[in-house]
Order: sequence, then C-alpha cells, then structure tokens
Amino acid sequence: MRPFARNAAIAGVGATEFSRAAGRSELQLATEAIRSALNDGGLTAADVDGLVSYTIDPVEETELVRSIGFQEIGFSSRIPYGGGGSMGTLLHGAAAVASGAADVVVAYRAVRARSGASRFGEAKTAPSPSSQHSGTTAMQWAMPYGVLTPASWMSLNATRYMHRFGVTNEDFGRAVVQLRQYAMNNPAAWGFQRPMTLADHQNSRWIAEPSIRMFDCCQETDGSVALVITSTERARDLESVPVLIAAAAGAGLFEQEIASDHYRPDLSVMDGSVALARRLFGDFSISRDDIDVAMIYDAFSPILLMQLEALGFCGLGQAKDFIADGNFALDGKLPCNPNGGLIGEGYIHGLNLVLEAVRQLRGTAVNQVSNARTALVTASRTGAILTCDEESGRAERS
Amino acid sequence: LYSYSVLHHPRSPAFDYPLLVALVDLDEGIRLVSNLIEVAASQVRIGMPVEATFAPTAADRAVPVFRPATDAS
Repeated sequence: MRPFARNAAIAGVGATEFSRAAGRSELQLATEAIRSALNDGGLTAADVDGLVSYTIDPVEETELVRSIGFQEIGFSSRIPYGGGGSMGTLLHGAAAVASGAADVVVAYRAVRARSGASRFGEAKTAPSPSSQHSGTTAMQWAMPYGVLTPASWMSLNATRYMHRFGVTNEDFGRAVVQLRQYAMNNPAAWGFQRPMTLADHQNSRWIAEPSIRMFDCCQETDGSVALVITSTERARDLESVPVLIAAAAGAGLFEQEIASDHYRPDLSVMDGSVALARRLFGDFSISRDDIDVAMIYDAFSPILLMQLEALGFCGLGQAKDFIADGNFALDGKLPCNPNGGLIGEGYIHGLNLVLEAVRQLRGTAVNQVSNARTALVTASRTGAILTCDEESGRAERS
Repeated sequence: LYSYSVLHHPRSPAFDYPLLVALVDLDEGIRLVSNLIEVAASQVRIGMPVEATFAPTAADRAVPVFRPATDAS
C-alpha cells in the first residue's frame, strides 16, 4: 500500500463543450473548465495552491494564474509522454496533497486538436527533439520514411499484434461499434446520435493498412477538462460526492518510446501497460475483479485491445473474443469506456476518460454501470483506480 | 521483416502513396524503421527476408531502405 492511497480524492470535475472549432484559445478553454470544476466542488480560485498538466499543454501556469485569479501557487508539475502520461496527473495530484506539498491541486488539459495551428492527426514535418511534444529524438529515424503521424506510428505495432494473434481489422471494428453505441446516448460526444455499423466501419477508408481505418481513429477535438484534487478529509466537507484516488502509478521502460514505440523487443504486447498493471494491482490491495468499469485510452482501436490484454483482463490474443462476447457492454464482465471513449466522445488527450469515471462513481453517467464502486482509468503507461468513498456515508445512491 | 504498414492518409507531398513502411530487424540486432521497395503491398509478409539498399532523401543524402532479399543466404 502506498501512503497516498485513499488519502486524496477528486473533489470536483469540469469541462467545456467538445467541438471541432472552439473559436477561442486554449487558455480560455482551460479557464472555463477549471472554473466549472471549482464550482462543482464548491471551491474558489483562492483555495487552489497546486497545478498539474501535461508537458505539451500550451496553457502556461503564469497565464492561468492571471486569468483565473489564483492567489498563491505552491506546487506545480507537468507530466511527459503525451497522452500516455495523462493519468499521471492523478498520481502527481494525489502525491502532492497526501504529502502536504499542496492542499488543493487543479489538473487540467486544454486542446485545439482540430482547429489549432497543428491538427493532432496530421503529418509532422520536422522532428521534435524535445519531450514537449509527443515524440523524442527517435522520431528522426521514422520521419525520413514518411512515418509522420500518430496513426502511422502505432500501426506498425498493430500489424505485428494482428500477425501474432490472428486479429483482423474487423475485430477492431467490433470494439468501435460498442464505443459508438455508447456515444449515441452521450450529448457531449461527437458520436451523439451518429450511428455506425460494423459494415460502415469496414467501408471506411484505410488510414494505415491492415490495421487502422478512419473509424478506428479518435476524434481530433477542441476542448478542456479539469479536475480538482484535495485530501479525502477535506473532500468530505465539500459539495460534491468525493471520488477517492485508491491507486495511481506510472511505468516507463527502457527503450520505450511514446506513440512511436518501435524499439521494445516484442511489439505485439504493450509491456508498459503490463508494468503499469503490476503496480496498480500489486501495490494497492485492489484486484482486477474489483473493477466495475474500465476507462482505457483508445486513441486508436488496436491499442484498446492491446491494453486490455496487457492489463491482464484477458489472455494475450483474447481481447477480440472478449469484446465479441459483449464484455464491454454495461452488462458485460468489464464495461469499458461507456462515454464512447476517445473514439466516440472526443479526444481531450485522455483526461475526459477521468471525467467519465467520476460520473460513473457518482451515479450520474448517461450510460450508467449499475452500482459502480470502483473504476480503472489507464493510458498505456499511467493509470489510476478510483473508488467511491465507502466510509463517508455520502456515497449512498439510488 | 518484423512488421509493416501501408500508409494511405494523410499524405505528405514528400512521399508517394500508398506508402510501404516497415520495421526491419537486422541480423546484427538493431531494429530500423524504413521503407520497402520493389515489392507489391499484397506480397508483403511478416518474416520475409529483406536486404538493404539506399534511396535518395532530402539534401542529397541517402537513407537505407529494404527490398525482398535476392540471396536467401
């Protein structure tokens, strides 16, 4: 058991609308999401003394302090690894409040991944040697060959995965159908009331053959998500039902790259997620059987199946059958991404998955898992387990 | 050939599409990202032996690319 486990809680969540053209800056989007999250928790800007975001987030702390009116920030940190680091915000936030380094931490991510200066899915034309982008110096060994986009980077791993386990693009399509069915009911989702059949999926154009078609890709999205993290003790006195951070961990392996992860020995297994699962399910007295709902980072559908296996919810190569058997549905063994995921709802670089986990544990989701008490949120190499606060007496719901 | 992908979209003006990209494990123990040439996408199989040659790239430089091995030894 780690000392911060269950001693930190999510006390408020907020978001902007998710769109393809926000019409305002990332700074403004972040400000709106943070104000919404503070309101949700019954807190004000003056209560906040900690900030956490991603290294690649364009919203500078100094600008945010001025725009929102934070009075005195005592702790701030940023997580590398792009979207794979997204759940590191929970680890940093929990560690900060449980250690006393901060009292109230705001975690935020703001993107204009569709309307901004650089669309997320488009070709990068120059290597970015700094960790501030979703790539490292290894990109200079991929770009001369036209391997320029997130889909192209991940497709090489996906082809190897398909080859080893006899997985087809149609198998990926069945996962996407489930996500899109969920998104149909979610007014915040890009996929709201936008049906998609397996045939539609199979008729969508190739992005990277034989693994990724257009409908295997998440949505490039404009928007922002913010979370307020404070001590469990303080969260119990606030307005919203607290959601406890019962576990949080990260794992970065030797020669593991980010989205262009081409140098680990066996690319058919996401072994960063294997290491993550060993920490999440080894160090916190929580088992896989305890998970009522899983939020798994689905930037592209192949990595959803690969993470499911690496996290240990089924055997290697068995994700396609697990999903075909309906286990991602609300009445399945592991309801997964019931907001529609990043593919069906939108892509706030992973942080919207936490938003949905909180809704599920509060009992306020549009596709509500019956009596959800424990939620897993993961993004390849970072993850957390969130639970209802069984001791507060405030967790009772209809 | 450790893995491959046939890229269709989005397209950069610097390349011809569909673009065959590959991961190649060298006998010496290094894995490279590269392109496959002189082979149709439908003929590409993981595990097939490939050999290095060189193709021009920007600034009058050359990069190693791979084609089906002509000598199985």
